[in-house]
Amino acid sequence: MRIVIAEDDALLREGLTHLLRAEGMEVTSAVDNPDDLLGAIESDRPDVAVVDIRMPPTFRDEGLRAAVEARRRWPGLAVLVLSAHVEESYATELLADGAGGVGYLLKERVGKVADFLDALHRVTAGGTAMDPEVVAQLLVRRRADDPLRGLTPREREVLGLMAEGHSNATIGSMLVVSDGAVHKHIGNIFSKLGLPTTDAGHRRVLAVLAYLKA
Amino acid sequence: MTDRPRLSAWRFLAWTAVVGLQALAVSIGLLLCVAFVVTLPLLPRVLRFGRGLAAGERDRVGRFLATPIPPPPATEDPTWRDLRWLVLQTTVGGLAGSVPIGSVAGVLQNVVVAAVWPLFPGSTSTLNIPVESWGGAALAVVTAAGYGLLGVLAVPPLARWYANLSADRLGPRKKTLVARLAEVTATRAAALEAHGTELRRIERSLHDGTQNRLVAVVMQLGMVERVLSRDPSAALPMVRGAQDAATDALAELRRVVRDIYPPVLADRGLSGAVASLVAHCPIPCTLDERPLPRAPAAVEAAAYFVVAEALTNAVKHSGADQITVSLRDEDGAIVVEVTDNGRGGADEAHGTGLLGIHHRVAAFDGTTSIDSPPGGPTVMRVDIPAGP
Repeated sequence: MRIVIAEDDALLREGLTHLLRAEGMEVTSAVDNPDDLLGAIESDRPDVAVVDIRMPPTFRDEGLRAAVEARRRWPGLAVLVLSAHVEESYATELLADGAGGVGYLLKERVGKVADFLDALHRVTAGGTAMDPEVVAQLLVRRRADDPLRGLTPREREVLGLMAEGHSNATIGSMLVVSDGAVHKHIGNIFSKLGLPTTDAGHRRVLAVLAYLKA
Repeated sequence: MTDRPRLSAWRFLAWTAVVGLQALAVSIGLLLCVAFVVTLPLLPRVLRFGRGLAAGERDRVGRFLATPIPPPPATEDPTWRDLRWLVLQTTVGGLAGSVPIGSVAGVLQNVVVAAVWPLFPGSTSTLNIPVESWGGAALAVVTAAGYGLLGVLAVPPLARWYANLSADRLGPRKKTLVARLAEVTATRAAALEAHGTELRRIERSLHDGTQNRLVAVVMQLGMVERVLSRDPSAALPMVRGAQDAATDALAELRRVVRDIYPPVLADRGLSGAVASLVAHCPIPCTLDERPLPRAPAAVEAAAYFVVAEALTNAVKHSGADQITVSLRDEDGAIVVEVTDNGRGGADEAHGTGLLGIHHRVAAFDGTTSIDSPPGGPTVMRVDIPAGP
């Protein structure tokens, strides 16, 4: 897997590069600003770009803008955006083009290496990786008459994992239940929320996130 | 260019005389109502007429001065202020208003007398001198010029002086420097107090939360160090434990940061951050946003927290199904208005949310007002000066 990293903090940039290389991945470039990121993508044509949101010159959301711009210029480019804090509206901006291959995670998720690599693979394969914190933000602020209240705790759990972008098999192994049980939960959730059943993958994530945002 | 303002000053002042007569009529009416005791029930009506006159004058003087004159607030006993204005208008207003009228009348009378003396010898000029010769006619013309000159010279400044005087009496009382100083001193004390509370809160959450969790990380790593030499396989759960504790510390830190200065505010500014709040709101919420003045970070943060708190309140208590957030600039102040169509009856005395908003805003020399009749709608309005 060919990866470009954009992160302005030298320690984190080196650490991330080191971590990914130790896992046998090919980090083609590691840059520290949005312009160099676009240049590196142009020359390296990576499978995925791992991008920090706050970067020079103003340390606001340059990374996010660069990621959106990169996906506009190179459709199909997978992007995993990392940040010290997550904001649900940023996720919306990343997902706005409707294409898959998007990830948005808290930086510290890198520490759980296995989960981080799983998310990276998922994004590179055209899937989605939403941080649980983003999903939590969407789940917290709900109205009293919300159909979500009709979900069982287990169903809420499954809904959250779906929104994060996990496949049925992963959800099953995370909750230690069978594939059949996961399937049943998902069927219940979709009928309770009145959503049309969508096949697994990015479209399902978009449908669930769109529902949660409404 | 100079003609038109001068003309409008004449018209303004002449009309002032008319209003003066009306004011005189109202004053007499009021006195009569009181004098004949049986007519006392009519007093409120006459009073209302007088107040209507004051309101009309507020509008007229405001247009002449090109600055709107707000009515005095309820705390300043507006009826009493209007009555005092009535007396001023009857006396000074009537006198000032007679100047342009007198000037025009003086010119006309003297010129006419000078012109017609061969036909009607002995007509008197305004100086009470019968005009019976060409010399007398010349004197009358000179007198006419004198009246004209008096008007041209006196009317514009007089109009301006009287307009300012009545604006002063019709509008809210100007705060004396001492009153304003007392207000600023109170605000400053509140701001210092709020700042102190904020510092203590931040200190506590960093000390009790983040710091303790990092201590746990260090402790776990220390245990790992010891156990690695004895039984490496036992180290794994401790490493995981250390990782979890560090993750908790980060989550805690994020929460503290969000409470001090929300990152989205730094990234996107006030309107972007409020748009994000509005988008998050579980009740359908619209944002009506006009261009905002640039404001210090602390002011923007205060405005942001006001919107956040107001939305939380509305969601929790109002039972509304539609909220509107409006952000705009009024005379260099950021104005936040949150309107919901819920059940109303919100009261600053109850509920810590509204009180919290009030304190937060007061610390920036801002004002909070809540209009929430039973049955709704509730309108909360906050004005925060954007800067010096």
